[in-house]
Amino acid sequence: MLVAAPRLLRCTAMKRLVVIALAAGLMVAGSRPSEAACGTAAGPCNCSDLPNPIYLQVGDTQLNLMKALGRQLRDNTAKPITLVWVTSGSCANIDLMYHHNPQAGITATMSYAPSQAEAATFTTASTPFTCTPTTTPALFPDIGNSALFNSACTQETPPSKLSLTIGPRQGYVLAMPRGTSETAITAEEAYFLFGFGPTMLQAMSAAIMPWVDEGQLWIRLDSKSTLLAWAANISVPAAKWHGTKLNGSADVVNALLTSANPAAAIGILGSEVYDNLRGSLTVMAFRAFGQYAAYYPDSTATSRDKKNLRDGHYTVWSPTIWMLNTDGTNPVNPDAKYVVDMIAGHPVTPAPTFEPNVTVAGVGLVPDCAMRVQRTFEGGPLSLYTPPTSCTCRYEATVDASSCDTCSATTPCATGICRDGYCEEF
Amino acid sequence: MRALILATIAALALAFVTGCSDDGNNSGPKDAAAIDAGPSSGPDASCFTNPTTYNEIINACTTAQKIYKHPNLPLLGSAGSLPPLP
Repeated sequence: MLVAAPRLLRCTAMKRLVVIALAAGLMVAGSRPSEAACGTAAGPCNCSDLPNPIYLQVGDTQLNLMKALGRQLRDNTAKPITLVWVTSGSCANIDLMYHHNPQAGITATMSYAPSQAEAATFTTASTPFTCTPTTTPALFPDIGNSALFNSACTQETPPSKLSLTIGPRQGYVLAMPRGTSETAITAEEAYFLFGFGPTMLQAMSAAIMPWVDEGQLWIRLDSKSTLLAWAANISVPAAKWHGTKLNGSADVVNALLTSANPAAAIGILGSEVYDNLRGSLTVMAFRAFGQYAAYYPDSTATSRDKKNLRDGHYTVWSPTIWMLNTDGTNPVNPDAKYVVDMIAGHPVTPAPTFEPNVTVAGVGLVPDCAMRVQRTFEGGPLSLYTPPTSCTCRYEATVDASSCDTCSATTPCATGICRDGYCEEF
Repeated sequence: MRALILATIAALALAFVTGCSDDGNNSGPKDAAAIDAGPSSGPDASCFTNPTTYNEIINACTTAQKIYKHPNLPLLGSAGSLPPLP
């Protein structure tokens, strides 16, 4: 008994220690859910262990931008930053930034681009590295993105502590599997096709060739910018669309490429997705309501200059919107503003070790400085636009070919302004 | 014969002047071809050279490839109006 009492005390103390250790372990697990080392493909590691992480929730059309810019920023010696992103629909991203809905914040595995030292051959075609977000406290993005006007998702005024910046323009296309002889679709055809559906049209003796298979319309969920942008351009509300609603761009691509009836298959995509699959898909030229002819986003079916998108002949595009947390005046995280400014083509300090507009152009987006038309709401009428400075020559040289004169400190321009090696108009 | 040549030249000149003028107010034929003309490039005969309005911007003269298409849409209204969605 005399021996048993201390043993009991020792046993109780031991139990307490175990409980404390377990509790501590659980607390650690809450904030540090994984222990893999960052900077390897083996992941996921803890996102918070990455150097200077900036968290983003973006539309999946911005995936290649995240990879390319994320890569550049990892090795941006002037200010190294790790973009840590997750993709979701634009309307969901707006809801998260406006209302912190869902309250749990980001819980899904996130992605980041490796640095040069971590993966020398990483490109936008590579699989990004992964990490696990902190869940205690809940993680909310520093930056949210919608790939269309926010007003297409909600008429609500943005919170006063959220700063909205218009970024590069995003094109949207209708595409068919390669091999089709079809080259164009009119807004009226698209209205009937997606608003009535092939089955009803055939019953009304109004079939639109070759799109006669109800099961071969591949579209996106109602919260996705791709669907909402097209909806606004053909006057068919998202909820009224006929077709199979898929979650991701990759799902639409897969449906088109594996279609059992490819001659009748058609799907909606971001133009940058199509650009990377030109060998497998055919883009449809589009004739808007009131337009005399149909046009591709680019000046020809094979070019990559987005000329028609930039000058108003191709109407299906949206601005990308970048939402940044502020305290009402200043950004909560100045490095997050550095990223947003970079994406929007604004000057940043310190100067990066790369050209952000070139990175933006390289992933299929159109920088503001290359645009000559604008609109104020989704699918709204276009008006002429003059950006503060032009980068048309530099843009065209990046994505296709430029006919502009080149220049240097010793070879000035005959007309225009020498900028980035090209004689820009202004 | 000489009169025929002169008439042809005059007709071509008139078509050139009215086809794509610099006043930005050209409201020529909406589509140059009555049938599907297929892909084409080069200056458009029915276009606006100094666009300012939305209709002029989307129909501005361009060297970009353009495709004329005239689908048969029996559900369209007589004036090209769209019926309500089901």
